[in-house]
Amino acid sequence: MARIKKKGTSGNAKNFITRTQAVRKLQISLPDFRRLCIFKGIYPREPRNKKKANKGSTAATTFYYTKDIQYLLHEPVLTKFREHKTFAKKLQKALGRGDYGDAKRLEQFHKPVVTLDHIVKERYPTFTDALRDLDDALSLLFLFANLPTNHNLPTATVANCERLCNEWQHYVIRAKALRKSFLSIKGIYYQAEIQGQDILWLVPYKFAQNVPADVDFRIMHTFVEFYTTLLGFVMFKLYTNEGLVYPPKFDKEADGKGAGLRAFKLENKGIGMVVEGIETEMSKNRKEIREAAKQTKLLQDKISAITEGEDEEVTAALEKPESEAVDGFDSFKPIKSDSAVDVLPQPQISSNTNGDVDPSNLFAPYTFYLSRETPREPLEFLLRSFGCKRIGWDAVLGDGSFTDNELDPSITHQIVDRPPVVGLPPAAVDTVARPGGRVPGRIYIQPQYVWDCINAARLIPTAEYAPGALLPPHLSPWVKVSTGEYDPTAPVAAGEEEEEVESEDEDDHGMTEDLGEEDESMEVEADVSEEEEEESEDEEEAARRQHQKELEAEATGVKLAAEEKKKQKKKKSKAEREAEEQKEMQKIMMTKKKRKLYEKMIYSNKKKEDEAENLRQKRRKLEKSKKAAAA
Amino acid sequence: MAKSNIKKRKASSREEVVHSDSEDDFQTGLLNGAINNEDEESDEENHSSSEDEEADEFPEVAAASDEEEIDSDEVPSSSEEAGEKSGDDDEEEDEKDEEEDAEVDEYGRKTVLDSAGNLRYIYPEVDTGYASDDSDREEMNTIGNIDLSLYDEYPHVGYDINGKKIMRPAKGKALDALLDTIEVPKGWTGMLDKNTGGDLQLTREELEILRKIQMDEVPVDGYDPYTPTIEWFTSKTEIMPLSAAPEPKRRFVPSKHEAKRVMKIVRAIREGRIVPNKPKEPEKPAFYDIWANEVPREDHIMHIPAPKLPPPTHDESYNPPEEYLPTEEEKKEWEENDSEDRAKDYLPRKYNALRLVPGYDKFINERFERCLDLYLAPRVRRNKLNIDPESLLPKLPSPQDLRPFPTTTATIYKGHQGRVRTLNVDPTGVWLATGGDDGTVRVWEILTGREVWKVKLSEDETVNCVKWRPTKESAILAAAVGDDLYFLVPPIFDPETEIESKRLLDHGFGTAANVQQDPTKKTPPGKWSKPMDKLVEQGVPVMVTVKMTIKHIAWHRRGDYVATTSPEGQNRAVAIHMLSKHTSQSPFRKSKGIIQRAEFHPFRPILFVATQRYVRSYDLAKQELIRTLQPGARWISSFDVHSGGDNIIVGSYDKRLLWHDLELSTKPYRTLRYHEKAIRAVKYHQGGLPLFVSASDDGTIQVFHGKVFADMMENPLIVPLKILKGHKVTQALGVLDVDWHPRECWLFSAGADGTARLWN
Repeated sequence: MARIKKKGTSGNAKNFITRTQAVRKLQISLPDFRRLCIFKGIYPREPRNKKKANKGSTAATTFYYTKDIQYLLHEPVLTKFREHKTFAKKLQKALGRGDYGDAKRLEQFHKPVVTLDHIVKERYPTFTDALRDLDDALSLLFLFANLPTNHNLPTATVANCERLCNEWQHYVIRAKALRKSFLSIKGIYYQAEIQGQDILWLVPYKFAQNVPADVDFRIMHTFVEFYTTLLGFVMFKLYTNEGLVYPPKFDKEADGKGAGLRAFKLENKGIGMVVEGIETEMSKNRKEIREAAKQTKLLQDKISAITEGEDEEVTAALEKPESEAVDGFDSFKPIKSDSAVDVLPQPQISSNTNGDVDPSNLFAPYTFYLSRETPREPLEFLLRSFGCKRIGWDAVLGDGSFTDNELDPSITHQIVDRPPVVGLPPAAVDTVARPGGRVPGRIYIQPQYVWDCINAARLIPTAEYAPGALLPPHLSPWVKVSTGEYDPTAPVAAGEEEEEVESEDEDDHGMTEDLGEEDESMEVEADVSEEEEEESEDEEEAARRQHQKELEAEATGVKLAAEEKKKQKKKKSKAEREAEEQKEMQKIMMTKKKRKLYEKMIYSNKKKEDEAENLRQKRRKLEKSKKAAAA
Repeated sequence: MAKSNIKKRKASSREEVVHSDSEDDFQTGLLNGAINNEDEESDEENHSSSEDEEADEFPEVAAASDEEEIDSDEVPSSSEEAGEKSGDDDEEEDEKDEEEDAEVDEYGRKTVLDSAGNLRYIYPEVDTGYASDDSDREEMNTIGNIDLSLYDEYPHVGYDINGKKIMRPAKGKALDALLDTIEVPKGWTGMLDKNTGGDLQLTREELEILRKIQMDEVPVDGYDPYTPTIEWFTSKTEIMPLSAAPEPKRRFVPSKHEAKRVMKIVRAIREGRIVPNKPKEPEKPAFYDIWANEVPREDHIMHIPAPKLPPPTHDESYNPPEEYLPTEEEKKEWEENDSEDRAKDYLPRKYNALRLVPGYDKFINERFERCLDLYLAPRVRRNKLNIDPESLLPKLPSPQDLRPFPTTTATIYKGHQGRVRTLNVDPTGVWLATGGDDGTVRVWEILTGREVWKVKLSEDETVNCVKWRPTKESAILAAAVGDDLYFLVPPIFDPETEIESKRLLDHGFGTAANVQQDPTKKTPPGKWSKPMDKLVEQGVPVMVTVKMTIKHIAWHRRGDYVATTSPEGQNRAVAIHMLSKHTSQSPFRKSKGIIQRAEFHPFRPILFVATQRYVRSYDLAKQELIRTLQPGARWISSFDVHSGGDNIIVGSYDKRLLWHDLELSTKPYRTLRYHEKAIRAVKYHQGGLPLFVSASDDGTIQVFHGKVFADMMENPLIVPLKILKGHKVTQALGVLDVDWHPRECWLFSAGADGTARLWN
């Protein structure tokens, strides 16, 4: 006979220990345990049988996997924690004695430093694993980069987070990894694809965050501590894979001027260490523009040959602001054209030929100018990620723009987010430089245009995005419509509409009808033979009656149609009812477990359908009211 | 060692002799007070004590000179001590002589001749090496710790170790007593010496010790507790130190070696080899390629990576389609709900331009929640079923293929005041009998729904059950009203049948009268009699009175026996009435619970009896229990036996229908729970159609296809066919009784709404 197994030596009883037991075993305080768990990524488990795991008690407890805790016993960080404890005691002692020199020395040279390198490697054995887990890290770091500093949140932490975020953005731009972005009420979602891994992160809008009192920042700090380490290693790997030096050079002065992304200088790895600064990029761009300008000049000449009269006006309009700009902003030198006429690349032409544009270079041929009311960081990031090299913005938005001259003739698109000034002529010659004024020959768009283009992976017509226009709805690029779900882009079935309205009325009648029916059936069904006879009569009579009713309807109005429908509905519902009854009876023969599962599924499916139906109904109502308003 | 000891002892014993008369140690002897009277012995004592004193100086001798040892040496069989009587002295002397005569051999033992003339060795006492405790030296009286007064009437006061009587010392005469009172003798204590029976006398020294103990003083003489302390080792520097060595040089000359080492460091600092307080150089660069040689982790069941947050949906947009915006009601509901109850943690909003979008005030909270989830939320793998729920439904034959079965109401039988309690179709299948709360029994023509006959059996009591006699040649209807069981012959049949029925009923009157009432026997459960004349005229020729309310009637298939069930009646709950002889009997001696219903087996002499929880079957011929079925229901309301006799359906008040296969097990083959309220009645179709029904208080009747196969291996097939709805629920009661037509697929139901219905 096999040996009798002792209770509590295997299975659930052995695999799980409660948190209290774990803390006792490790001999650390609860906050230390929490920190350790966050660093090591240890999370509680739900044993399949709680009673067995907790010695017969079913009280609510947190369980950990025993082996997780066992591995913790040999964790170097744990010894560091202990060292820190003794260090804290020494420091306290020195301070208590008033021995400040000693305290300083201790603080400087004997403070134990926790390194998390090995944990990063342990938690993410492969680089792909690390990339997969980057969502939360990025979201949290972007939040911390935007938080106000205080005594709980040192400046160094915020600066570190900001630096990492900027480095990340640089990499995404460089690798052209950005895929989608979404403007939500919470912030801006970005999705990048790196080595086949989708990384989705959320960046808050640039506002002062209100710091709630019920948030324990110690926990967040612990996470940030780990995430900065993780992101540092990830970034190192990404940069080296890309052939760049990590960390990139950081220009403090430029950062002080609000250069944002441009405060970093990416360096290529190699013997020469070629500095691929933005300056060089810009100078290259200039050349390109000049060439483009030459080509367009030729084109322009041809056009001017056709319409000579117009040409003069255009050049006048173009030249005037240029000269003004030279006066106003001396710091920036406008393109010096060799010829007398400087011409814009025609956006209309390029947008016509955008059918086969590479989505990652969507904005490459254009020059964007951001008005000062638009959010610079996200737009700059997005435009750069999608190939745009020339982005100018108002000097108010910070340093490092391609141009801060609004009237720069190379600008093809201007992103504006202000209401149209009423009573202002769109292209009055004197008011061009004023805010709200229009420079002819460029496209004015609202910021949403950029996002919608990116999500659509093509340039979409700009007509709907004109300043002050009612924007088309901004949709989440991650929603994939499956059958039966509501699709806001697809038109709602028009035929359903009337029925829907009808059904609403029907619903009200529903209850009384059912009750009434039973009474009816008593009388009707008492003499079956009669009814059967009637049925045969029915068909003959039906046509006659129908005709009669139609005639009546013509006299009275639309009443008949409604009545007909009602009857149809009733018939349909009878069939439905039968099917329902059939299902009810089938359920009788199910086991309890299966029945519960079935009912749960039915319930959840119904909930989804109801939601979709609710949306459809709302939309029909809206369309109806719109039609009414239009009529 | 032993030898020397013996020699020493010998020596001491000789000494004893030498010192026997010396009185020099007398003062110091501690114990001599106790043996004051016997001078001779006291000598020995004194001597021994003197020896004790000597022992301080010569411990070896002291060990050997223990008195007891000496005694045992001298008197191996008995000890002669202070308590010995003088009368023994002679004997002792002899023994002593004898022993002295004995030689000491090389082993140190003495050889003596005993009374039989054999050699007897007397071994020397084993020396334990320590001075034996002599506290029990005087314990010569062996009577133990008992009152001496018990020996008052004897001349002795106890027995010594040898079993010899210790005689009471001679009491002085009255004169002595008087003298004693005048002159208290030295050391008089007034206490009795238990060992001797005489006065206990203590010496002055002993009294002094007692006093000292009493006064908490040290009992030893000459002990001074207040001797001045002598400081042997002190911190005081002596004028003349113990050591005259001069102070070494190293005490006041700085160490050369140390200076060397310091100089070494100084030089190093000067040369810059050591930089004091230099910040620690990190051993590794801050970041490096940690994944240089990566090894993927094997997938482990316990490793559950954190699930990603779902991507945002349309309604999270800053500019969502308008249909996503909440209505006023939805907004209100969202605001009223607690944050845990909300389906989404935000309300969709629409902004016409990006510049109008405000900061999200719960951004930090949401990130924090996520952090908490990451390290606090238990992670579990859950398998999500992505299947069509319809696939879970069991595959059953379509009801359309299992026709015929009743689907619609064909006829409604209206007429009863109040509820229709019971109904039954007559064996010819033409008439329907119903009984109701109004105390009437009505007979209807099934096809037309016309009431053909009615009789009011009681004013205030309800008709609980009606049952036609199952034979076709007669037309007898049994009806249970209150305590009475009536046999009715409705005058609606042809006269021959009517006459035959009446004859059958009246036939027993004579036989019943013939039976002699045995006074010793118990009274039968039923009393047969003729009802009132008015009723007789109406067609009720016979009635049986049972003392308890009858709830159910069951006819035997031949129609001679009727079993009535009255749940209140404990052991007489079931009564079997014999029609032909007008007799009644109760088959059970004791009750096994509240009996709900009794039914006959369709063709075997078996009676099924249902209590609240169990259904038992009894063999009527052998009069024994065959089987107890355990349906598992809490309160059985009704049951029915399949015409094949091997299957039973049981309906219960706790909404369950249980199908029992008698061949299979005592547990149900199938338990079905579908009615919303208690099941009142269940019924098999007895005319060959594989149908059965259950009727419930929720007003519905569920029709099933229940096919029993001839093959024993095949389980019965149960398919739900139709839910019949029509009866109204009145006062929480719906359908009270159901019955099948004997041949057709017609179903009759009696409702609490005062109607009976025919379904086909």
